[in-house]
Amino acid sequence: MNPGNRRLEPEPTDAEIEAIVAEAIAAEAVLARSEAAPPSSAIVWWRAQMRARQEAALAASRPITIVHALAIAAGAGLMLSVIGYALAAVKGSSGWVTGVYQSLAAAAAPLAAVDLTSRWVTLPITAMLVSVLVASVAAYFIFADE
Amino acid sequence: MADVTFLDVRRLQAEADAADVVLAMDEDAFRAFYDRTAGALWGYLSRISGDRQVADDLLQESYYRLLKCAVPFESEAHRRNYLYRIATNLVRDARRAPRPLFDAGVELADMPAPEGPAGVEGRADVRRAFGRLKPRERALLWLAYAHGSSHSEIADVLGVKTASIKLLLFRARRKLAATLQR
Repeated sequence: MNPGNRRLEPEPTDAEIEAIVAEAIAAEAVLARSEAAPPSSAIVWWRAQMRARQEAALAASRPITIVHALAIAAGAGLMLSVIGYALAAVKGSSGWVTGVYQSLAAAAAPLAAVDLTSRWVTLPITAMLVSVLVASVAAYFIFADE
Repeated sequence: MADVTFLDVRRLQAEADAADVVLAMDEDAFRAFYDRTAGALWGYLSRISGDRQVADDLLQESYYRLLKCAVPFESEAHRRNYLYRIATNLVRDARRAPRPLFDAGVELADMPAPEGPAGVEGRADVRRAFGRLKPRERALLWLAYAHGSSHSEIADVLGVKTASIKLLLFRARRKLAATLQR
């Protein structure tokens, strides 16, 4: 038989297509209903309650965190300004410090070599103060949750 | 703004923890609605996503979002359509996520069918054909033929114009039928 003369299968009509699709999906829907094993309504309700409560607590703690952060920032700023003021005072009264140093030098000979106005003294002291501050802030964050 | 001390902050935090959350439905109404709709919604989710695990996850999420929404529902049908709209959007988002929960071209035939006496082969064919459709086409056909939803309800769920549903359904039907007959 010549393939060119072969009669083509007639295209299904729209109604036939709709019937095929409707039948297939209806059968699949029956199967899906039999497969469905959703959790009980009590469990879903309980989970929703828990999650909503958790989200509410999270939303409430957000402004609290901001207040804490502002307080810490204000404290740190205050501390730095005190340190800055103290350093300026030390620099301004270096003559007084020198006088004290000279009077102490007689009593404590080993301290005679120490120059309190030197950066090799002020820098470690400043670093120590800053690290105390940082350590206290870090300790707050570590133990805040507890 | 009134001054807030740290003691006030602690008290507010404790109150927030203990506060009873406000959801859109009371427990009895929710449980009744859930019992009426959960099985059908699970079927919809599993067939649209092609993944049972995804269907389980998104089912819970859909009801949670329904409970959290502040939409005044006019009727049970309105609430149900809204639930299906949430579910449809969740499936779409899950597919578009950077780490998708499932593949877009998932083969539904890969889902293990429960033991049955006959027609297992045919069911696998239907699933395979359904899996070849786009998720929106699956949703269209499922809503139309498994749920018997009207065009306006389908449009409401899928977020498209009612006037375009007829054409979209026509194309989806032809595509599914062609794949089934192949």
